Amino acid sequence: MLGKGEAPGHQTPAHLHKDDGDDDAPSGVVKLISAEGFEFVVDKKAAMVSNTLRNMLTSPGGFSETREGEVRFPEISTPILEKICQYFYWSLHYSSGKETSEFQIEPEITLELMMAANYLDT
Amino acid sequence: MSGGGPPRKRNFKIELFKHRVELDPKYAERTWKVLEHAIHEIYNHNASGLSFEELYRSAYNMVLHKYGEKLYDGLESTMTWRLKEISKSIEAAQGGLFLEELNTKWMDHNKALQMIRDILMYMDRTYVPQSRRTPVHELGLNLWRDHIIHSPMIHSRLLDTLLDLIHRERMGEMINRGLMRSITKMLMDLGAAVYQDDFEKPFLEVTASFYSGESQEFIECCDCGNYLKKSERRLNEEMERVSHYLDAGTEAKITSVVEKEMIANHMHRLVHMENSGLVNMLVDDKYDDLARMYNLFRRVSDGLSTIRDVMTSYLRETGKQLVTDPERLKDPVEFVQRLLNEKDKHDKIINVAFGNDKTFQNALNSSFEYFINLNNRSPEFISLYVDDKLRKGLKGATEEDVEVILDKVMMLFRYLQEKDVFEKYYKQHLAKRLLSGKTVSDDAERSMIVKLKTECGYQFTSKLEGMFTDMKTSQDTMIDFYAKKSEELGDGPTLDVHILTTGSWPTQPCPPCNLPTEILTICDKFRTYYLGTHNGRRLTWQTNMGTADIKATFGKGQKHELNVSTYQMCVLMLFNSTDGLTYKDIEQDTAIPASDLKRCLQSLACVKGKNVLRKEPMSKDISEDDTFYFNDKFTSKLVKVKIGTVVAQKESEPEKQETRQRVEEDRKPQIEAAIVRIMKSRRVLDHNSIVAEVTKQLQARFMPNPVVIKKRIESLIEREFLERDKADRKLYRYLA
Repeated sequence: MLGKGEAPGHQTPAHLHKDDGDDDAPSGVVKLISAEGFEFVVDKKAAMVSNTLRNMLTSPGGFSETREGEVRFPEISTPILEKICQYFYWSLHYSSGKETSEFQIEPEITLELMMAANYLDT
Repeated sequence: MSGGGPPRKRNFKIELFKHRVELDPKYAERTWKVLEHAIHEIYNHNASGLSFEELYRSAYNMVLHKYGEKLYDGLESTMTWRLKEISKSIEAAQGGLFLEELNTKWMDHNKALQMIRDILMYMDRTYVPQSRRTPVHELGLNLWRDHIIHSPMIHSRLLDTLLDLIHRERMGEMINRGLMRSITKMLMDLGAAVYQDDFEKPFLEVTASFYSGESQEFIECCDCGNYLKKSERRLNEEMERVSHYLDAGTEAKITSVVEKEMIANHMHRLVHMENSGLVNMLVDDKYDDLARMYNLFRRVSDGLSTIRDVMTSYLRETGKQLVTDPERLKDPVEFVQRLLNEKDKHDKIINVAFGNDKTFQNALNSSFEYFINLNNRSPEFISLYVDDKLRKGLKGATEEDVEVILDKVMMLFRYLQEKDVFEKYYKQHLAKRLLSGKTVSDDAERSMIVKLKTECGYQFTSKLEGMFTDMKTSQDTMIDFYAKKSEELGDGPTLDVHILTTGSWPTQPCPPCNLPTEILTICDKFRTYYLGTHNGRRLTWQTNMGTADIKATFGKGQKHELNVSTYQMCVLMLFNSTDGLTYKDIEQDTAIPASDLKRCLQSLACVKGKNVLRKEPMSKDISEDDTFYFNDKFTSKLVKVKIGTVVAQKESEPEKQETRQRVEEDRKPQIEAAIVRIMKSRRVLDHNSIVAEVTKQLQARFMPNPVVIKKRIESLIEREFLERDKADRKLYRYLA
């Protein structure tokens, strides 16, 4: 189930399928910053696959993240965050029926990824 | 995030990693301080400096490190403290600002609550369900309810303020509906129970007493129409109020309160209100008021039946007056026309104002049925009405109009219980029309027959149809007669014979009068011809039913064509040979029955403008000592003079009795036939069941009288169709 097929490339997930990123409602992008300071710019729509991020970005009252459009994750490392971003897009496509292949996860990052998933409620 | 499957498979558990727990004993306390501070900042509208991620992570870690309970309790007490503060500030608000303040604070609390829930989402998601505690949002609402709405300083003040505002709006003031909407919505958000207990219940009570007072006031000073208008307006206002700022569920409750206070409690008084109640509305065709009454009353139980009962008794009363008013009985056509008008009027009311309500239609029908049958001359009058319409009333009317009129008549006919009496009269009237050639439209006649047939079946109309057949056959016979015999007949008078089948026609055996010799000759020729072609038949002359056209020359040589009856013709022919005759002479020479003779002489001598005979002494009535002379001085502008017989169009009392008797006579075999039919299939039956079944079978034609049925049963027993059961005298057996 895991690690099947070729490993995903190293491109920045933000540029994946940029063409169909602005379908509806939450427009614009949000910057996700890893523990090491790497920045990932993703569509808000994709970020909202995570319930935590969804709440963060839609909560009333203007938390700093909403105002600045960036979220820092001091506890998530760059590779994990990258994987997470890939998952956001995969999930979007999967739920809309455009994607049917499985999402691949390398066994060595499984544990950390799951922790992050729990944190992000994804 | 799950491995490779679809993203919804997510119910796995995360094991805690011991190595990550760097336990600082002050850790929990420190983290909670951060969160507590954040909660206060949120309530202070100061959240922009906070990092959602940081707060979320703090709460996440607290829960992860088993400090969920501390977090939850801390939240609860912090929020409680904030709400107590808020409650003070709301209590301090003055007068009208109270609601505003409450609303503002509610909005603030809601927003804060949502932010708090968002940052504590992880707790909500894991700790709360595990330890079975109230979710954050609900907790926030409950705390608001307990510390704000149920705070003794706010609770009753809030209710009073709301009720006062609604009262002011009812009295015509403008109030801030948006604010009301927010407040009631708040109560709903706090739970349906809060809305109902803390607002709706007292609201309904206040409303009831308000309308109870107002309706009392209205009913003392308004007439029924105005009262209904006011009630309708109030009802609409209340519904509108609900749609603007109350919960939709309140509508049914509030309308039922208003209905009860405004309508149900005063229903009878309204309906019977003097000079403006239901009866007056009916009389004056007040469609709007009636429709209003219908629509309001239908909302309350027994409302419609109240209207219906009053309407029915009104209809019966007026109907009864109508059919028993001796003045009305003088003109049958007018009588029926009034019935029809009455029916049209109420049909329209039911259609326009009562939404064509079936139950009202039934009430109308049963009322008509009731009073039409109160007058046993109704069948005769209805037939006379049709007679009038088919004689002249329909001239110039289109086919549709005719249909409409006939349909209306059929409607009245349906109400009749004694349909056989109608048939009897209809037959008489039809015969007169056919024989005198007075019927205006053959189509209309047939259409009427078809209607009767669909209503009552073949049996009912077979004789009527036979009459039409006779007319047609007679026509053919006459054409044939003249074609074959014209050379024999020469210049004598022309004869037109209607050959009527005995039984189909309402003929009565009557001795033929003495016809003038000219006529007698041709009659005999016809008899020979007819009996020659039809073997074994018997012809009798019905001289009382014929008509004649005769040419007469008067004093100054002016010629007139007189259209008279056969009897009149016989009388007039006598004056060809002499100028003066006594009554006795005429009676002897013509052998016309006395009553007919008097009538025919009266129309010849006493009608102005048509007095071709002169009578001595001059008087209105014919007496047996009168002498008659040919009136040489007769003049008329018309060449053709039609001399009608003074007809008693309506039956006279003895004739009525006679018809009645014939009807009773005709009923006997029908009742007997019904009894035999029933007994044939049942073999054994008790008396009451027979009566019931016979009535059921025959009621389409008439209502058989139980006494008559009993007599028929006895007669059948005598004739050994039935016998009484030996053991049980109440039982009858059929004897095959």
